[in-house]
Amino acid sequence: MPLASEEAVAHDVRPIAAPDIANDNDRARWRDHETYKALFVNPWTYMTGAVVLALLNIALVAATGKGWGVTTSLAYWGAWIWQAVGGDPHQWAYFAEVKPAFNAPGFNLLKDAGSLTNLGMVVGALLAALAASQFRVKRIKSRRQVAAAVLGGLVMGLGARMAFGCNIGDLFTGLPSMSLHGWVFMVSIFLGAAAGSKLLVKYFI
Amino acid sequence: MTTLATPQSIRRPLRAPAVRKERASQLPWALVLLALVVAAGFYLVRAGGSPKFAFIWAIGIALGLTLQRARFCFTASMRDPVLTGSTSLTKAVVVGLAVGTVGFSAIQLAAYLKTGQLADAMKLAGLEPVGMHTVVGGFLFGLGAVIAGGCASGTLMRMGEGFLQQWLVIPFFILGSAIGAVTWPIWKAAFHVQPKGGVYVPMALGGFAPALVLQFGLLLAVYLLADWWGRRSARRAR
Repeated sequence: MPLASEEAVAHDVRPIAAPDIANDNDRARWRDHETYKALFVNPWTYMTGAVVLALLNIALVAATGKGWGVTTSLAYWGAWIWQAVGGDPHQWAYFAEVKPAFNAPGFNLLKDAGSLTNLGMVVGALLAALAASQFRVKRIKSRRQVAAAVLGGLVMGLGARMAFGCNIGDLFTGLPSMSLHGWVFMVSIFLGAAAGSKLLVKYFI
Repeated sequence: MTTLATPQSIRRPLRAPAVRKERASQLPWALVLLALVVAAGFYLVRAGGSPKFAFIWAIGIALGLTLQRARFCFTASMRDPVLTGSTSLTKAVVVGLAVGTVGFSAIQLAAYLKTGQLADAMKLAGLEPVGMHTVVGGFLFGLGAVIAGGCASGTLMRMGEGFLQQWLVIPFFILGSAIGAVTWPIWKAAFHVQPKGGVYVPMALGGFAPALVLQFGLLLAVYLLADWWGRRSARRAR
């Protein structure tokens, strides 16, 4: 019968890496090139990221007149799914009163800027992960993670509609546009995140 | 002898780095995906009837790439000051907001100078109604994002990185958004929402100059506050 301490020790032992036969280290490889590594393998600084994101958002406004937003399109996706199962979202008062673009004839996923950037963001992140050879499927490890995903997703969706946007549309586009709601949103999301941190520590970790 | 804990070692638990076999190159897959991305761009131009849609698609790809490369997480920028005391992401977000202000205000100013009407500049702003609903919605959003482990951009980025948790978040995020849209008459009445009730600061203050002074003044104040908080937390951790 193993002693408890032995178990603990056994638990801590890490698998030793198998000798790397597949990689021929004498051969110069593309992904070891300094420029490639700096751009596509090593992480960028937060500052670099923030500035590039802001410049991309500016380019979006300059070219299309509308800035980066994420969650309005998620409401569209929900409505289109509802339509696909036989519902009629065009009767929702929300779209008539708040987002009339949804009811415009010929409007669809491929013509919605937010849907295109949303899909682009998933694919772009996948592309970056693959280019760095860092893509890996990360499994859900516990029931708490499932509960966190379900609850967090629902609350975020509802909150984003009430605030007319999210950390992108309200904060990253609204605030620099000099709309007052961006500033109000920034204070509110910070307070919500602080409360969420307390809940996270208490119930979800 | 004791080792001094640095903020770095507090965030990442002290342990020997795991010996890992270098992963096989995924570059071929990246190239295949890149080809598909370009093909999708051509398809979008045909389907939408305008090169604009390929441009938007390309911006989306670049946004996802940037988010992943910089490990940029808005949720963490709001959560870390509370949870770990780190504000490096928070400061980066503020810098991003300042850069955005420079670009957006230039675009708005150009529209204003063309016609002399602030209303024309306002059309280019990401203006939305503001009120109690912004406070409640923002609070709920921040709370949900921390629990779900990612905000709007973070969820989409992590889906691309292969996090199954975020693939579980997204259907409920969409469901929550749809519920928010369907229940609009209820919360519209509860919070007295004016659908056209946005406040464009240059309009409210009577011009660009006072609005920009206020904007950059506030951003600087937030930056300095975050910087002070980060230093204070690092000192306390020692």
